[in-house]
Amino acid sequence: MQALLSFEQAPPMAAPFRFFLTAPLFALLAGAVLLVGGGDAFASRWSPGALALTHLIAVGFVLQVMLGALIQILPVVAGANLAGPLWVARLVHALLVPGALCLVAGFLGLFPGFAPAAVLLVAGVGLFVVAAARALLGVPSTSHTIGGLKVALASLAVVVGLGVALAGGLEARWSLPLVDTTHVHAGWGLGAWGVGLLSAVAYVVVPMFQLTPLYPRWFSRAFGGVLFAAATLLAAATLSGRAVAGELLQALLVWLAAAFCAMTLWLQARSKRARPDATQRLWRGGLLCGLAACLLWALAALVPAIGERDEWPLLFGVLVLAGGYMSVVVGMLYKIVPFLVWLHLQNRGRGKVTAPNMKAVLAEPPMQRQMRVHFAACALLAAAVLWPAWLARPAGLALALSAALLAANLFAALGVYRRHAALVDRRLAELAGGRA
Amino acid sequence: MKHPKSDRVIDARGLEPPEPFVLTMDALDRLPKGEKLLLLLYREPFPLYKALANNGFAHAAEHLPDGTVEILIWHADA
Repeated sequence: MQALLSFEQAPPMAAPFRFFLTAPLFALLAGAVLLVGGGDAFASRWSPGALALTHLIAVGFVLQVMLGALIQILPVVAGANLAGPLWVARLVHALLVPGALCLVAGFLGLFPGFAPAAVLLVAGVGLFVVAAARALLGVPSTSHTIGGLKVALASLAVVVGLGVALAGGLEARWSLPLVDTTHVHAGWGLGAWGVGLLSAVAYVVVPMFQLTPLYPRWFSRAFGGVLFAAATLLAAATLSGRAVAGELLQALLVWLAAAFCAMTLWLQARSKRARPDATQRLWRGGLLCGLAACLLWALAALVPAIGERDEWPLLFGVLVLAGGYMSVVVGMLYKIVPFLVWLHLQNRGRGKVTAPNMKAVLAEPPMQRQMRVHFAACALLAAAVLWPAWLARPAGLALALSAALLAANLFAALGVYRRHAALVDRRLAELAGGRA
Repeated sequence: MKHPKSDRVIDARGLEPPEPFVLTMDALDRLPKGEKLLLLLYREPFPLYKALANNGFAHAAEHLPDGTVEILIWHADA
C-alpha cells in the first residue's frame, strides 16, 4: 500500500531535527559554564552563573526541544499542520539559537545589555506561536490535549512578554518590581507553559508510548484550565502587591504540578510493559524530581530554618530544570527521534522497501548509558548546591558528558537515516530498472 | 475478534507506534470492497485520516466514554 504511507502534509524531517540536534550543545555549554566558573554559580539564585545556567537549560535546551517536538506533534495529536513547516522551523531556529546565546552572554556580562536577546527571542517564539495558533485556529478542541495545547501556547507568549519586561527592567529602560516580576515569569514559564504543555502532550503520549491506562477524564478535563487560572491570578496578586493571596496561589500552582507528577507516576505503575525502557525511566526520574521540588517548596514555606537559607531556591531550580524537565524531554526525544527516522524511511521506500525496526535506529543500551550519566549529573548538581566549592566542577563535567552522549545518540540515529535512505534509493532504482 | 460494527477489528489500544499504523495498512491492503475495518485506539490517528482520504477510503470515528476511539474504515467508492 505505497500511497497510503505518504503523509502529504507531514513536516519534513529537517524541521524538528534542527532543534533536537542543537539542544544538546546548550547543555554542553551549561556544563562548560560550571567547569570554568566553578562554585560561583551557586553563590545565590541571582548570581550571573545561576541565571546563565537557568536559561541555558530552560531556553537553549528545554524550550528548543519542545518547539521542535511541537512541529511534529501538532499534526499528529491535533491534526493541525503548520503552513510551510520547514520555513517556520528554519526561521524560528535561526532566531532562537542566537537569542538564547545573547541572553546567556548578557547574564554572564560577556555582552552589553539584553536588547538583542529580547528582540531575537520575541521574534523567534512569537513567529512560532503565531504559526501554531494559525494551525490550531480551525481545529475544534475535541480532546483535552488540543485544548491544553492552545492554552500552553498562550502561556508561552506570556512567558516571553514577561521576559522582555524583565530585560527592559534590568537595563533600567523602565521601572519594574524586578523580584516580583521574576517570580511571575518563572511561575508562567515552569508552571503554565511548562507543566501545561507537558500535561497536554502526556494525555496522549504517556498511554501511547508507556502502555499505561488513560489519564482519568476528570483530571485531563480540569487540569489545564485550573493551571492557567492559577497562573493568571498569581500574576495579578503578585504584581498588585497582595502578598498573602500571591503566596496561596503560588502554593496552588506548586501543588497542581505535584498532582500532575503523582498522577503520571500512578499511571506508570500500571504500565503493561514488563520492563520499563529508557523513556519510561527518564519520565519516572523526572516526575520524582518534580515531586521532590514541590516537597522542598512546601518545606521552605513551612520551616523557617529551610526557607531562610540561600540554597533552597537553587536546589529547587536544579530539581525542576535538570531533574524534571530535562529528564522528561530527553525521554521524549528517545521516542520521537526513532519514530521520525522510521516514518521518513518508510515513506521514502514507498511501500516497496521497508524501514528498519525502531530499535535498530536507536538501541536501548546507549540510551540507558546516557540516562545513567544524566541522572548522575542531576545528583551532582543537587549536591553542588550544598558543597559548591567541591562539586560544581564535577557536576559541570557530568552535565557536559551527558550532553555529549545525547548528541552522539541523536547523530547516530541521523546516521542510520542517511545510510538507509541511500539504500532505499538504490533499491528503488534497481526495482525501476528491473521493470524497465 | 467479534464486534457489532465489523468482524475485521484491530484492537491497537495496547500497542506502541508504529504497530497500529502498520497493522492497519496491512489489513486495508486485504480489505474487500463493501467490507469495513474497525480500528480501536485511545487517540484519534490524524495522520491516518489524511492517508485514508488520499487513497480512496472513507472513515467515521466515534469517541466512547472509556476513552476508546472507534474508527470504522471502508472503500469510499464501495
